[in-house]
Amino acid sequence: MRSLVIFDGLSKFIGVFVVLFTVLIFIYSLAFIKRRRFYYYFWFILTFLASLGVVFSSNFVLILIFWGFLGLSLFSLINLDRTSQQADTAKKTFIIVGGSDAFLLLGFLILTYLSGSIDFSGNKLEINSLLSLFSFLFIGIGCFAKAGLMPFHTWIPDVSQHAPLPVVAYLPASIDKLLGIYLLARVIKDVFILNGLAKVILIFLGGFTVISAVMMALIQHNIRRLLGFHAISQVGYMVLGLGCGSILGLAGGLFHMLNNALYKACLFLTAGNVEEKTGSSELEDLGGLAKFMPLTFLGGLISALSISGIPPLNGFVSKWIVYQALIDLVGNSSGSLKIVGSLGLVFALVGSGLTLASFLKFLGGVFLGKSKKKVKEGNFFLLFPVLVLAGFCVIFGIFFRETVLNIFLKPYLGEIKIYGLWEASLATLLIIFGLVLGLLIFFIFSLKKKFRQDNLFVGGEEEEAQPLVSDFYTSFRKMRFLAPVYDKACQGFFDIYQVLKKITFSFANFLKYLHNGVLPTYLVWCLLGVLGLFLAFFRF
Amino acid sequence: MSQLIPLFIVLPLLGAFLNSLFVRKNTKVSDILSLLITFSLSVISFLSLFLVNKYGVLIYKVGGWRPPLGITLVLDGLSSLLLLTVCLVSFFISLYSINYMEKYTSKEKFYTLFLLMLAGMNGVVATGDLFNLFVFLELASVASYALVAFGTEKEELEASFKYAIMSSVASLFILLGIGIIYSFTSTLNMADIAKTLGGSLNKVVVFAGILFFMGFGLKASIVPFHAWLPDAHPSAPAPISASLSGLLIKSLGIYSLVRVIYNVLGLKELFSLPLMFLGTVSIMVGVVLAIGQWDFKRLLAYHSISQVGYIILGIGLGTPLGILGGLFHLFNHSLFKSLLFLNSGAVEYSTGSRQLLKIKDLGLRSKMPFTSLTTLIASLSISGIPPFNGFFSKLIVIFSCIKAGFFGYAFWAIVGSILTLASFMKVYRYSFSTEHTENREIKEVPFFMKLAMLSLSLLCILSSFLFLNKFSNFFLGPAQKTLLEAKNYSTINDFVENVR
Repeated sequence: MRSLVIFDGLSKFIGVFVVLFTVLIFIYSLAFIKRRRFYYYFWFILTFLASLGVVFSSNFVLILIFWGFLGLSLFSLINLDRTSQQADTAKKTFIIVGGSDAFLLLGFLILTYLSGSIDFSGNKLEINSLLSLFSFLFIGIGCFAKAGLMPFHTWIPDVSQHAPLPVVAYLPASIDKLLGIYLLARVIKDVFILNGLAKVILIFLGGFTVISAVMMALIQHNIRRLLGFHAISQVGYMVLGLGCGSILGLAGGLFHMLNNALYKACLFLTAGNVEEKTGSSELEDLGGLAKFMPLTFLGGLISALSISGIPPLNGFVSKWIVYQALIDLVGNSSGSLKIVGSLGLVFALVGSGLTLASFLKFLGGVFLGKSKKKVKEGNFFLLFPVLVLAGFCVIFGIFFRETVLNIFLKPYLGEIKIYGLWEASLATLLIIFGLVLGLLIFFIFSLKKKFRQDNLFVGGEEEEAQPLVSDFYTSFRKMRFLAPVYDKACQGFFDIYQVLKKITFSFANFLKYLHNGVLPTYLVWCLLGVLGLFLAFFRF
Repeated sequence: MSQLIPLFIVLPLLGAFLNSLFVRKNTKVSDILSLLITFSLSVISFLSLFLVNKYGVLIYKVGGWRPPLGITLVLDGLSSLLLLTVCLVSFFISLYSINYMEKYTSKEKFYTLFLLMLAGMNGVVATGDLFNLFVFLELASVASYALVAFGTEKEELEASFKYAIMSSVASLFILLGIGIIYSFTSTLNMADIAKTLGGSLNKVVVFAGILFFMGFGLKASIVPFHAWLPDAHPSAPAPISASLSGLLIKSLGIYSLVRVIYNVLGLKELFSLPLMFLGTVSIMVGVVLAIGQWDFKRLLAYHSISQVGYIILGIGLGTPLGILGGLFHLFNHSLFKSLLFLNSGAVEYSTGSRQLLKIKDLGLRSKMPFTSLTTLIASLSISGIPPFNGFFSKLIVIFSCIKAGFFGYAFWAIVGSILTLASFMKVYRYSFSTEHTENREIKEVPFFMKLAMLSLSLLCILSSFLFLNKFSNFFLGPAQKTLLEAKNYSTINDFVENVR
């Protein structure tokens, strides 16, 4: 039976959140976008419709059409201001995303060839041959590039840095993550039966992404770029979860995808508020904004803690589930899967710590420290989406069982069994109790009056320079083993786009050298061509 | 109804003669004349598609002579598709030329040559006689040599010279092939040859097949016979580049190649692998060369080589799906590649340059909104981005490869598609992406040029619907059947005898 649409638990889950993000970012855009409004909303709405199209289609060709169209709308939205940086970014993004779409197409076609079905209703396909593995990986490439897994990630930092912030919050931070991981989860659950090798590849890529993207994030000076690298790093967790192939892993991956979309969109919108009011996204120019923009700070704080996996916020819960799934996998497998699984677990844990470290840089650099200039808090349109998203981070953290797991994931994945004791509501109560107690002590004993606040001074002179937050973690940058790697990374040595560009152009130059414009040469080719044909036909 | 067929040749020939005889000063007359002729030809070609769907094959006997003796004009599925493509695109090209050719002197000579070339292309497609095919092929080729050199600058003359030499070599190979076939079968009627050969794999036939392969392959610019194209196509005026890349290489090259090898000589299976292999090589060589170019038109010319590769790959595969995809891509390519050449012409018309680095910061996006939009549509179509037509035809070609088990070919076709996207992103980035930084007076192109570009881009979107069975059965089905049941071509003469 051919069916064009699919309305199961997963589609509904993703669909609901596509609508949520669209509404919130639409509200935000009303205040943020001031030029080319018609153009912007035209593509914004088309993006929305195409995303719903991807989520609710079952037919591969329909999915490919909507999916490819999303690349086009991303391309159009990035280049809103038409500066040359945006134009370069848009070009690079569309080449990477569109190119991976072509591989997605190839993957789907091979899948159709193998299973005989052009929609998701076909039988599950075991990955037992090279061809089926390639089919899975080609489909994977499409998902990876959309979501931003290494090595197909290089467009995300550029887009984060140059594109208008609502666009960044909408596409790379939320919708593209939702869709990329949606499709990956869909094929892992409904289409393929993963074998060991496929799992090893996914977990390896996931773990590698977590650690290396967060290392890159540590050394950034620009908050947009910093957030961009985190947007990549978090995809690693999702793929780690999905790569386990178990129900628990899928739940963790999908939950983390949702959480990441929530707090990452919130963070980008926070950065948007900051940029709207101060006109800069460089850490050097920012500081001390918590005083002037308390609500923005609140949103940024909650989402930053949440992305770093601080309980009781949502990031903690989903990472917890992913760890559980990995531990499960390591316990039940052997050989290379066991090694890669434990490696992935270690990377995930270390990555989480480093995430916290780099968000200290973000929070400290933007909101704390000495303020450089006075600004005003943003208006309702700018604050409402930030606070709603932050609210979701809190709710999904504390009531994860009642909300996400039961309402959204259970219909698709069935009962999800989580090991380990983690009673979020109780813990939250305790945390709140602790905080309240602390505040009470602070106020009752009026501790504030017992301290004197003053500026830094050295030798009786007031010290002008305060520790520069943007230079945090330069020690990493200068470490003996890491320095050469960082150098290469900053030169674009690991950028798949630059590497392939170089290779292609060297071929092009070779062919150009052959096309020297001399007529006899060309005639000789023709002759050689005919001779080749004669040889091919009359060898015998 | 077969009386309609000679109109395809007579009308443009008539136009060419009237033009050269009577038009002197008032070139408006030739504008209208050429527009009228191409428009009526488009209508007739649509009509002929209906006829083919209804009757199957139509044959016109020139001078009333019976088929093996006299020359016949044959309208079957394949030729009706090609006629539709050629006439439709020619109409838009002639619409575009009204404004564009103003900057050249002696516009009426341009129209004369253009109509002659059109007559040649239509003749090649419609004829049922092998030697007649050669005559029309030479007619179109000679007209195109002159058109390539139309600007009469140093570069154009050089390109035209190279083109003429290489093309003549190809024509000689074709003539040799025809001679061999004539001496072997004692007939020149194509259906009659097919009947006489009866699908035998005689070495002489294979030998002639190789000669045809080289000759028509050069006209279609299959690698390694492609080297003339990147010089010749960019040198011509934009409307002619459009018709060379969009139409000439298809009617003279691909159509003739496939018609002779599949239908006349019956060597479909034997030539399948060489066609597919060289098609894939063309895809890669063309696109890799294109990506390194900085000249807008030259880049497009290299892409023609690459896109012909897709068509050849699909048709060479020979499965129903492959042939369908190849023909679909042929039709689509003639739309978007003509459109792209017209776009490049519009850019050159307004800015005076077609070097991407020179038009980089002119801010053409806001100054030339129509050109920018249509270029984007055509670029996306050729790069295979949904929902534009190129996506669907490439999808079919690639799926047909996979279905037949040729995974390597499918992979290279995908890689070619990605590189195509990359090179058109380069074009769009440098020509249309940024706000203007220089203060230079640049105007959007005049009305008829805009109209032609807009209609072609609209067609690029509309022709996506040929992906649906309902439409593809009507437009592409008869042509697909002609190639799929290639052996049936030998019986078309009997068919006519019975009907009359």
